Amino acid sequence: MILFAVAIYWHLPLMLLVISLVYSATRHEEWDEILIEAFRWGIRMFGFMLLVGVVLFAVSWLI
Amino acid sequence: MSSAPNANPSPPPHEPSALAAVLSYLIPGLGQIYQGRYGKGALFMISLLGMFLLGQAMGQWQNVYLPDMRHQPGGRSIVSALVQRWHYGGQFWIGVAAWPALWQFYEMKVPDKEAQPFWHHFQKAPDETDVNNFLRNSDKTPDLGWVYTVIAGMLNILVIYDAYAGPMFLPGMRPGAKTSLAPKKEMAKEGVA
Repeated sequence: MILFAVAIYWHLPLMLLVISLVYSATRHEEWDEILIEAFRWGIRMFGFMLLVGVVLFAVSWLI
Repeated sequence: MSSAPNANPSPPPHEPSALAAVLSYLIPGLGQIYQGRYGKGALFMISLLGMFLLGQAMGQWQNVYLPDMRHQPGGRSIVSALVQRWHYGGQFWIGVAAWPALWQFYEMKVPDKEAQPFWHHFQKAPDETDVNNFLRNSDKTPDLGWVYTVIAGMLNILVIYDAYAGPMFLPGMRPGAKTSLAPKKEMAKEGVA
């Protein structure tokens, strides 16, 4: 519910998509390789951001 | 002496191109389009310019600028301006899209304030009190906005390098494989165009 209430977080998937696609396209030339690499980087960045979000939520819940 | 036939030959290495790098600096992806890599060029152009413009819009077009140094001791120095506003050091790499800030910094001719107020103030250093009031009365969207503009600029450095030297891995090469760069080096040594 908190995520739905705070609109700025809806910009983050866009940032993930652009960064992972552009970064992968500078590493590869073929589209299938670009998309596979972009998907991998997208998952990694999403996991990292999720981890940071969980830690911040836990800290705010404990304090 | 001919070498053994290779069933899956590696593609030729990318020829370094300074012109393509300059074009990709000016407009993201333009160097790749010049090289005939239209898909990647369009991807870079739409993604990075879109991200840069979205970031500016999120900050109500007040987050790409160099500070007004007229009243600072030491005069109008670009270095001291960058020390005060380091964000521009990242935004600069998006190319022409960030040049109006330099135009405004050096107080060159701009459209009339009454006729075209948007372009008159475009990438001009805003009044500090107005910016503080704006940030105080808004959510975190403007902060995310300048982050977008800086990320777009920094990503374009990778795009410039891609235009200059080609992708890190040629088709068929696996990232992390120990021999991944060997065919590229060998072919470059042999002078394969």
